[in-house]
Amino acid sequence: MAPSRHDVLQGTLDLLILRTLAAAGPLHGYAITAHITRVSIELLRVEEGSLYPALHRMEQHGWLRSNWGMTEKNREARFYQITVSGRRRLEQERESWSRLTEGVSRVLRYA
Amino acid sequence: MAFMKRFWNLFRGRRLSDDIEREVAFHIRERADALIAQGMPEAEARNAARRQFGNLTAQRERTRDADVLTWLDSVLGDLRYALRSLRHSPAFTAVAVGSLALAIGANTAIYTLLDAVVVRALPVPAPGELVQVTTTDSDEGYFTNPQWEQIRDRQTTLSATAAFAETGWNTADGGEVRRVRGEWASGEFFALFGMRPAVGRLFTREYDARGCAPIAVLGHGYWQSAYGGRGDVVGQSIRLEGKMFEIVGVTQPGFDGPEVGYEPQVYAPMCAEAVIREGQSALDARSTWWLRIAGRRRPGVSLVQVRSELAALAPGVYEATIPPRWAEDQKAEYRHRTLSARALGHGVSEVRDRYHGALLMMMGAVALVLLIACANVANLLLARATARQHEVAVRMAIGAGRRRLVRQLLSESLLLAMGGGLGGLLLAHWGTEALIALISNDAQPVVLDLGLNLRVLGFTALVAGLTVLVFGLVPAWRGTRISPQAAMKARARGVTEGHGRFTIGKSLVVVQVALSLTLVVAAGLLVGSLRNLVTKDPGFRSSGVLLVRVDLRRGGLPPGAYGPAHERILERLRHLPGVRAAASSDMVPVGRSIWNDEVYLDGFTPETSTDRVAWFNEVSEGYFAAMETRLIAGRDFDRTDTPSGPHTAIVNDAAARHFFGGASPLGRQFRVKQGDTFTEPYTVIGVVENAKYTSLRETDAESKTFYLPYSQDRSPGSSRNYEIRAEATPSALVSGVSGAIGEENRAATLSFVTFEDQLARSLQRERVLATLSSLFGGVALALSMLGLYGVMSYTVARRRNEIGVRIALGANRGRVVGMVLADVGRMVVIGVGFGIAGALASGRLVRTYLFGLSPADPAVTGIAAALLAAVALGAGLLPAWRAARVDPVAALREE
Repeated sequence: MAPSRHDVLQGTLDLLILRTLAAAGPLHGYAITAHITRVSIELLRVEEGSLYPALHRMEQHGWLRSNWGMTEKNREARFYQITVSGRRRLEQERESWSRLTEGVSRVLRYA
Repeated sequence: MAFMKRFWNLFRGRRLSDDIEREVAFHIRERADALIAQGMPEAEARNAARRQFGNLTAQRERTRDADVLTWLDSVLGDLRYALRSLRHSPAFTAVAVGSLALAIGANTAIYTLLDAVVVRALPVPAPGELVQVTTTDSDEGYFTNPQWEQIRDRQTTLSATAAFAETGWNTADGGEVRRVRGEWASGEFFALFGMRPAVGRLFTREYDARGCAPIAVLGHGYWQSAYGGRGDVVGQSIRLEGKMFEIVGVTQPGFDGPEVGYEPQVYAPMCAEAVIREGQSALDARSTWWLRIAGRRRPGVSLVQVRSELAALAPGVYEATIPPRWAEDQKAEYRHRTLSARALGHGVSEVRDRYHGALLMMMGAVALVLLIACANVANLLLARATARQHEVAVRMAIGAGRRRLVRQLLSESLLLAMGGGLGGLLLAHWGTEALIALISNDAQPVVLDLGLNLRVLGFTALVAGLTVLVFGLVPAWRGTRISPQAAMKARARGVTEGHGRFTIGKSLVVVQVALSLTLVVAAGLLVGSLRNLVTKDPGFRSSGVLLVRVDLRRGGLPPGAYGPAHERILERLRHLPGVRAAASSDMVPVGRSIWNDEVYLDGFTPETSTDRVAWFNEVSEGYFAAMETRLIAGRDFDRTDTPSGPHTAIVNDAAARHFFGGASPLGRQFRVKQGDTFTEPYTVIGVVENAKYTSLRETDAESKTFYLPYSQDRSPGSSRNYEIRAEATPSALVSGVSGAIGEENRAATLSFVTFEDQLARSLQRERVLATLSSLFGGVALALSMLGLYGVMSYTVARRRNEIGVRIALGANRGRVVGMVLADVGRMVVIGVGFGIAGALASGRLVRTYLFGLSPADPAVTGIAAALLAAVALGAGLLPAWRAARVDPVAALREE
C-alpha cells in the first residue's frame, strides 16, 4: 500500500485554498486540489466533499470571488480568485497557523 | 453583502443548483481525464472519478447548505425559539401583544376614517381637474337656480359643469313618511363625474330642460337593497313626494357623487323639481340658495384662470339675478358679490365639516396611546432582557455570536409586532364600523366606503415597523452589551439592585403617566362639557315629548283650509288618552329650520348691523305649557287673539332686555321688516323664560326670540310641528297619534321623532368626542398602570435580597411598603407634573369643543391627577405588599 496521505485538517483548508489562490492566481476547483496535491508532494489530499462547500462559504465571507470561464481544454469552469479581504484573512490564518505549529512542536520537543 | 447574497439565493435556488451541478460535472471530467492520462481505461476512469467525489447528491446539498438552508434553518430556528420563549411567559406576551393591538387598532381605525373623510380624493378620472364654484357671500358654496343658469351659460374655462343639491324624498303614499336620500342633479352631472349606468341609461344635458317629464336614476346601493338588483326596474315608476317618476337607469357602484359620506339613493333631474314643488318651485326663485356647482377645468386651464374668469363674470351674473323683492340697500350689496372657485378633488362633505377637527384631535389622542403602548412594551422587554441576562451570558459563554443573539431577541420583537399588527387590523376593522355607527344617525346616515386601502395598510405597517424598532432594538442592544463574566457574577451576588440599571424603565413609566394624564384631562374636559350641555336648563323640558311634523299639502285641501284643519288635528291630539298636553309650532327648538327677521321699534337704536335680528316662531295656544317654558309676565296666547284683532306677540327674556331695555315690554309695540315694507305693529302681551333656539350651545343673548300666534296667521302654511307631552313614554303614542291625524286627513304625511332624540342628535359630535376620549383615556390609564405594576414588581423581585437583609436587620413591614410606595410616588409626581404641562398645552386644541369649562379647568385637572394617583397607588400596592412579605431567611438562603 502506498504511504497514507493525510486528509487536510478541518480549519486548515481555508488557509490552503487562500494561499493557493494568492500564489497561483484564478483557479477552478479541480486545479486547486491538483495544485495542493502537487505542491505538498502528495502528502496532503483535499477531500472533494469539503472543497466546494468551503469555496462557497469563503465566497460568502467575501474572501473569494468567482466567475465562469473557459479552460485551456475549452471546457466551462468556475474560476475562483482571492479578494483583498481574502488576503487579509490569509495573513491572519498564516499567523495563527505558525503559532499553532510552533506551540505543538515545542510541546513535542520539551514536554 | 453576504446576507443579501444568501437571501437572493433563496429566490434563485434552481439556478444555484444548476451552477453547482455544472461545477461538479466539470471537476469529475477533469479527474477522469487525469486518470485516463495515467493509463486507466476510460469507463473505469469515469467511475473512479465519480466514486472519489463521493455521494453526488449529498455533496450538492452540502454545498447549497452553505448558501441557503443553513440560513433559512437558523431563521426558522430563531422564530421557533422566540415562539417557545413567548409561550413560556403568556402574561408578558398577552400584555405586549394586547397593548400593541390596541394602539395599532385605534390608530388604524381613526386613520381609516380620517382617510375616507379628509384625505382621499374622489374616485373619478382626474379628480385634480374638478373645481367647485364659490361665492364670497355668507352662503359660500350655495347658489340659486337663476344664478346657476347664468354661470353655466357664460363661463368658458370649464369643459363640463353641473349643479346638484342634496334632498330627501318621501316615497310613501300617505301616512308615515318613508324617506330616501335624494339628489337633484343638472343634466351634465353624471358626465362631469364620469359616472356610467349599470342598467338602463343616465340622463344627460339634453334632457335637462324646463318642463321635462319626471324621471329618476337609482343609486346602485338602493337598487340592490330596495329592488334586489332586478334588471326590470327600468320603465317602472317610483313615487317621490306623491308624484310618479319613471326609473330610467341605475348608476354603477363605486362612486356616489361628490358629497363624501352622503350616498344618494335616487337621482332626479333638476328640471323635475317643478313637478314636485309645483307653484313653489325653486327653479325661478331668486332667493332660494340650494345648489352647489362643480365643473371640470378644460385642458391647460389653471385654477387661477378659472377664478379670474368667474370674478370677471360675477357682475353680469348678479345683475341678471337680483331678487326683485329685496330692499334697495340689500340689492346694492347683492350686486357687489363676487364669484370664485376652489379645487374639488376631495369632494364636498358635511361629515368632513362636522368631524374634520374632531378626527384630527382623536388622531392626536390615539398617537399618544400608541406612544404609551410602545413605552409599555419597551418596558416589558427591558425588564425581560434584564431578567434574561443570565441566560444570555450562558449562551454567549458557550459560543453564541453576538449578532446571533441580537437576531434572536429581534425575532421575538418581530413576532410580538406581527401579533400586535394582526390584532390591530382586526380591532381596526371592528372599530371603524363602530366609529361610523357613532357619527351616523337616522336623519343623516353616514355612508362611507371603508375598504382597507393601501394607504391605511401602509400606515399600519409603518406604525408596527416603528414600534418594532423602538422596543426591539433597545433591549437587544442592551442584552448583549454585557460581558458573560460580569453577568454571571451579577447573578451570583445580587444583593442590591443599583438605581442605575433600571432608570430607563422608570423614566418610561414617568412618560406614560404624563401622557395618560394629558389624555385623561382632555377626556374629563370633553365629558364635563357634554354634561354641562345636557344638564344646563335649555328653557324647556324635553323628556316625555313626542314631535310630529304634519304636512297637509297632499290632502287635497284648498290653501285657506290648512289653518282650520290643523286646529282640528290639535284638538284631537289633546283629547288622546296618554296625552298630557299638546301644541303646535312653525319651528322646533334645536331643529333644522330657523326663521329670523329684523325688528323695528321706537326707542331702540342698533349698534351693529345685526343688532335688529332676532329669532321668530309661530306657535299655538298652550305651546309654552306643553314645552314647560315658564311664563314670566303677562299672558299666553288665547282665543281673544283673532285674525281681526290687534296683532299680539310674546317675547323671551333675552329679547325683552335687548330691545326694551330694563323696563317691562308688556303693551309695547314693534314691527318686523319684510323686504322694503314693514308689518303691522305687534303688541307684546307676555314674557317667557329664555329657551334655546338653534343649539344647546347658544348663549342667552343669542337666543332672543319673538313668538307670534298661529291664530292670527292670515295665510297658514300646509305643515306644522306638533309637540305632544306624554303621560308615560312618548314613543308609545306614535300609533295613537297617526290614527288621530289619519281620521282628520288620510293623505297627511307624518314624521315622528322624540324631542330627546332630536336634542341628542344635535349633541352627537360632542358625544362622539366624549365617548372616544374617555375610551382612549381609559386605555391609556390602564396601559400606564400595567407598566407601573410591571416595573414595580420587577424592582421588588430584583431587590428581594436587599429587602430580606433589611427585614432581617429589623426594618418593619410598614417601612418596606412605604419604601416601595415612595418609589411609585416619585414616578407619579414627576409624571403628573409633566402631564399637567401637556394638558395645558393640548387644552388649546380642545377649546372649540368645550362648553362651560376652560381648557385649564382646575377641578377637572385636579380630579384627573387624583384619579391617576389613586390608580397608581393601587397598581403599586400589590408589589409593595409582596415586598413586605419577603421571608428574610428564604431570601438570603437563595444565595
